[in-house]
Amino acid sequence: MSDFQELIKSFPKTREYVRDFFVYGFKTRQEFTEKSPRTYDNERRRLESWLAPYVQKDYVPNGANISLAIDSSLLDTNPLFRVWKTKSFTDNDITLHFLILDLLQDGQARTAEEITDSLLSEYEALFDIQTVRRKCNAYGKEGLLTKKKAGKAVVFSLDSRLALWLRSTEQAMDALCFYQMAESFGIIGNEILEQLGGSNQTFRVKHSFFVHTLEDEILLPLLSAMNQKQNVALAIKSSKRGMKNTAYCTPLQIFASSRSGRRFLCGYLEKSRRFTCFRLDTIKNVTLMEPSTEYDILQEKLEKNRSRLWGVSFQGPERHHSDTLTLTLHVQEPEEAYIVSRLKREGRGGTVTRIAKNTYQYQRESFDCNEMMPWVRTFIGRILSLECTSKLTEQRFYQDLQTMYRMYLDEG
Amino acid sequence: MELFSEIYSCYYQVLRHLLCSQNALTMEEIHSQVCGEGFGESLLSIIPKLESGAWDLFEKNGELYVSKIRPNFLMPLSSLEKSYLKALLSDARIGLFLNEGQLGALGQMLDSVTPLWTPGQFYYYDQFSDGDPYQDSRYRKIFRTLLDAQKNSQYVDIDYNSPAGNRVHHYYIPARLEYSVKNDKFRLLALKRTKDSFRLETLNVARIQSTALTEQALDTQVDLNALIKHSYYKEPLTLRIANRRNALERAMLHFANYEKNTRKLDNDTYECLIYYNQAMETELLIEVLSFGSMLSVIGNEKFLQSLKSRLRKQIRMVPIE
Repeated sequence: MSDFQELIKSFPKTREYVRDFFVYGFKTRQEFTEKSPRTYDNERRRLESWLAPYVQKDYVPNGANISLAIDSSLLDTNPLFRVWKTKSFTDNDITLHFLILDLLQDGQARTAEEITDSLLSEYEALFDIQTVRRKCNAYGKEGLLTKKKAGKAVVFSLDSRLALWLRSTEQAMDALCFYQMAESFGIIGNEILEQLGGSNQTFRVKHSFFVHTLEDEILLPLLSAMNQKQNVALAIKSSKRGMKNTAYCTPLQIFASSRSGRRFLCGYLEKSRRFTCFRLDTIKNVTLMEPSTEYDILQEKLEKNRSRLWGVSFQGPERHHSDTLTLTLHVQEPEEAYIVSRLKREGRGGTVTRIAKNTYQYQRESFDCNEMMPWVRTFIGRILSLECTSKLTEQRFYQDLQTMYRMYLDEG
Repeated sequence: MELFSEIYSCYYQVLRHLLCSQNALTMEEIHSQVCGEGFGESLLSIIPKLESGAWDLFEKNGELYVSKIRPNFLMPLSSLEKSYLKALLSDARIGLFLNEGQLGALGQMLDSVTPLWTPGQFYYYDQFSDGDPYQDSRYRKIFRTLLDAQKNSQYVDIDYNSPAGNRVHHYYIPARLEYSVKNDKFRLLALKRTKDSFRLETLNVARIQSTALTEQALDTQVDLNALIKHSYYKEPLTLRIANRRNALERAMLHFANYEKNTRKLDNDTYECLIYYNQAMETELLIEVLSFGSMLSVIGNEKFLQSLKSRLRKQIRMVPIE
């Protein structure tokens, strides 16, 4: 493994590996069938190098399992942010980065020629002008430098005011500590914080699902398309069977689950004239296409439909337009009033009615009542009845309940 | 705007710290810093580049490495970073941190920047509807007092309404402010001094009636994580997962925020151990119930009995067929 490199050129392949280790966390060399054993060894070595403090090794009969032992309630940052800091670069890249930015710290605007001369006179570093100009242009594009025309010349300058303000405003640094843990694109907050010499020792996030940071590279072009009201082509790889296909849609909103951290793109498929959701971790690539001519109308339609959405499914198993689920619960009054609060707080707009002493009814219309089942099951122990206009959903609930009885209460 | 870019690389970060050092560095000091801040094998890549001068950023003075750049070097923010900050300005919680003047100043500096996202572009479909009142001035005042106390390890006199309806009044050291995405609420992880040690308590920030900062600060180091881990039951929850209907992936993602350990038992069956404490018990039970028959609880006995008790109640309402 003499060609082993700790840093990498592109993110997508690594994203898959990290996700597999994180989510499954117990695959041995033999179980990684998609790539060669050599690739597995290299990826594993990189992962161990990047995330060393969190890697756990367990020896099993057919090899060593490596997994990531990450308990979000014990951490002040997301360890998977480290994966974003692994981009490879050339010797010129890193040298020019520090020298150009150091030279321009004084705020004075300079041409590429002047910068090249100063690199030699002030830092004894010899670069050709083309290389310096290319780096300055790239940094202009990244927003690190301001590129302007001064007469016929193009000049580059650096503005540190924002960074200085953030660094000297304690409350802004506190906000970054919080948002890097709790909000989308936490990796960006984390990078700003590091650049300014801060670190979080104040905030924790209870329901934090670290693995989803890996999807941010997909989220970025999707938001860009949404901001510009453009259609997109999505390269999809299904998580169940690994099938690949391309979907064309108008991206409208990002749906996110606070319970699993999963995020979805909700888009409109012109071909089948319906809304659908794509899990971000199944999207491998996003290509921006033509502008959507009816973007605002589609957003309005989605807004109208939302009251009948439970999660991310726009169609139930029986392909009805929508179904209604009625759940009747035993709630001992007054001591179990918290159950009624739960129905209101968690019921996503469903109606809650007291129909008799100690008996409450919850009702909601949904495109796919099957999606409601995990939530309904959290009331096990007090469900008097469940009725649903989707008979398949109703049957599934009772069958599952009977199975649980057999699993846990069958003493014989 | 690139998210995966070398300008955010760990190596750049390590180098920046080395270069901004006030003093000339020995190779041992460089080694030690690279080991502390870099990845596991970064030493093997970084040191040869510095020694050979391929990264021409130090002047060699005998055995010492002298930085070529200024110690007050500050990297400007990229467009992506500015765009991220602009998006945060529209978040309801930003007012917990920045006052009107600061919001105005930041807004002005980001005037020409397009936000990376707007709140309406995200929809948390399963977030509880009774989130904390972030706009409420009393809530903000309490939040800021707790934040200050946490950073300075100061005792705070807290008057609290417990969920059970009891009024509690105690001195606490705020250990962490914990945010729950699901509940859209802040909780305070607070240390309460006992006779010879500390006890960790969790208080809902929205239930705190008043706070008063004291002059007294914590005079000893408390290992918060050790306290949390110490609170875990000795015997973890043991789940058996048969990998059908994508149950394995769903369970692994769902329980990803717990400390857990998973192993494969045979071709189709996995065992997952989840570590938890009493405060997490009801929530974990509800989460396990939500999976129905897709998961089976093997132990611990206490958890299993709680699950069976719920099912016994249930069977009285919907009998077995």
